[in-house]
Amino acid sequence: MGVNAKLSIEIVLLTGAVGLELVCAIAILLVHDPFDRLHFLGPTTSIGPALIALAIVMEEALSTNGVKAIVVAVLLLITSPVLTHATARAARVRQYGHWQALSAEEVDSD
Amino acid sequence: MNVYLLAAIVLLLSLLPCGWVCLRDPAPINRLIAFELAAVVDILVFLLLAQGFGRDVYFDLAVALALLSLAGGLVFTHFMERWV
Repeated sequence: MGVNAKLSIEIVLLTGAVGLELVCAIAILLVHDPFDRLHFLGPTTSIGPALIALAIVMEEALSTNGVKAIVVAVLLLITSPVLTHATARAARVRQYGHWQALSAEEVDSD
Repeated sequence: MNVYLLAAIVLLLSLLPCGWVCLRDPAPINRLIAFELAAVVDILVFLLLAQGFGRDVYFDLAVALALLSLAGGLVFTHFMERWV
């Protein structure tokens, strides 16, 4: 693959990743419900890091740096759902006092 | 300046909305969500800066922060649950 073609692909990958992160950050600002806001953590921790890691691997191949970029992307992919779930659980506890399913009385009063 | 440094600079703009929510939102849980997003942006900025400057050591910062942001976030959610 030529140098220009490789650079073009890297630019496309980086533009996609940075654009996605910017859109999600602005969405966090515009959306007000915490559960809606949590949805925007998904693309930022899965697609964005994957695109950046792919761009670095395009440049470096599977060198130490390329592997570290992949490790970061995989770490974020694995740990982010755990953190999102814990945050959603905390938000629910703060809203209802517990995280279990709501009783009929609580549904009526909600 | 190469494309990685340029991408890192543009990506830093993502911290502005996160900072605004962290500082101005009245609900602590919303501040935590913005903080978590800011941590992810920081990790990616470290990756881009490491590649942009060509310094191998900087990649370790991104790996360490990716690990520590989970632990830090879980501690915050734990106390968010406790102190309603």
